[in-house]
Amino acid sequence: MTATGVLPEATAEAVVDRPDATPGGAPERSLQEVRVVDAALRCIARWGVAKTTLDDVAREADWSRATVYRLFPGGKEAVLETVVEVELERFFAALDGRLRAAPDLEDLLVAGMSEAGARITGHPALRFLVTHEPEVILPQISFARAERVLARAASFASPYLARWLGPEEARRVGEWVTRIVISYAASPSESVAIADAGSVRRLVRSFVLPGVRASVDAQARARPVS
Amino acid sequence: MAGDARLRILEATYTCVARYGLAKTTVEDAARVSGMARATIYRYFPGGRDQLVAEVIAWEAERFFERLAAAVGDTEGLEELLEEALFFAHRAVDEHEVLQKILQTEPDRLLPQLTVESTRIIGYIRAFLMPHMEEQARAAGLESEEAADFVARMLLSFTGSPGRWDLSDRAQVTELVRTEVLAALRPAAGPTVTDDTMRPS
Repeated sequence: MTATGVLPEATAEAVVDRPDATPGGAPERSLQEVRVVDAALRCIARWGVAKTTLDDVAREADWSRATVYRLFPGGKEAVLETVVEVELERFFAALDGRLRAAPDLEDLLVAGMSEAGARITGHPALRFLVTHEPEVILPQISFARAERVLARAASFASPYLARWLGPEEARRVGEWVTRIVISYAASPSESVAIADAGSVRRLVRSFVLPGVRASVDAQARARPVS
Repeated sequence: MAGDARLRILEATYTCVARYGLAKTTVEDAARVSGMARATIYRYFPGGRDQLVAEVIAWEAERFFERLAAAVGDTEGLEELLEEALFFAHRAVDEHEVLQKILQTEPDRLLPQLTVESTRIIGYIRAFLMPHMEEQARAAGLESEEAADFVARMLLSFTGSPGRWDLSDRAQVTELVRTEVLAALRPAAGPTVTDDTMRPS
C-alpha cells in the first residue's frame, strides 16, 4: 500500500542540497535525457511514482527499454532523480525570468509568489502525488525536511531581493515568502488564490510589504545615530 | 455514554500508537487496552484500523490546539497572545514524544494525514483568533477573517518549521510576531523609513 522508499533518499537530497544549483550553473541536459524526463513526468501524472515502470517510461518516450537503460544505467531510481533535478531547474529558470524583469519590490514579490504558486498548484505530476501518493512527497517537505526546502528557496530568492534590501533582510524575506507560498499552495484559502497575480498583489500589499517595512524600520532604529 | 466509550477507545488507541507505532496498531490492541469488545470498537469505528488511526491523529491534533488555547488564555492583547502561542506551540511540538517518534519512524503514514488535518487546523486557529483581532483588522482596513487566516497560517508554519528563528528565545519570538506574523495589523511604531529604501540601488 505504502510507497515508502520509492522516491530514493538520494532524490530527496537532490531536492534541497544543491543551493548552488542556479539556472546559470545547471548542467547541460541532453535532448534524450529531457525526452525521458518528460515521458516519466507524463507517466507519474497518470499513474503515480509507485506504479510507473521503466517499460512505461520507455514506451511513453517511444524508445526501447535498452535505450533508456543506456541513458540511465541506474534504472528507475536514476530517472526519478533526474526528473526532480530537471523540474527544479525549470522551476527556478522560470522564476528567474520573472524576477529579473520586476521593476520594484512589490512587483518582484507578486511575480515570484504567483509564478511559484501557479507552477506548484498546476504541476500535473505533483498534483497526482499530493492527491494519490502523499506518502511519497510530503515527508520531503514537512517539519525538519521543510527547513531545507526553506533554506534552498531563500538562497535562490535573496539575490533578487537584495536589489532592494540588505543581504540579511533579503534572506529573511526570501524564507518568509516561501512559507507563505507553501501554505496557500498546500491548504487552499477562501481569501487568497496563490496562482493568481491579482489576488497575490492584494496579499503582498496587505500582509507582506508591512512585514518588510516593520523589519527594515526596526533595523534602522537599532542602528546608532552618528 | 456513547461519547465516553468513543473517548475510551481513542485514548486506548493513542496508548497503542505511542507503544507500537501507527502501522502496527490493530483493532485487537485497542480492544485489549480499552477493555472493550472488538465488536464495540467496530460499532464506533466501522472503518476498523484505518479509521481508528486516522481519527486518533485528528483527535490528538485537536487536543494539541486545545492545550495551546488554554496556555494563551490569560494573556493581554493580541501581540502577547501570539507570542505566547508561538512560544508554547514550539516547545510543545519539541516535547511531544509520540509526535517526534512517529515523525522519525513513520513520516509516510503520519504526514499525509496531518496535511489533510492542516486545512481544518487553520480553520480552528482562525476561528480562535478572529474575535481577538477584529479591532486591529478594521483599523488596518482588512477583513478580520482574511487577517486571521494569514496569521493562523504563519503560526502553523513557524510551529512546524521555525527556519532561521529560535523560538525558545523570547526576544526573537517578539520580533517574529512584530514582523512576519502581525506587521499588517500593527500601527507603525516610530518614524517609518520611506519606501526609497526599497527602490533598486
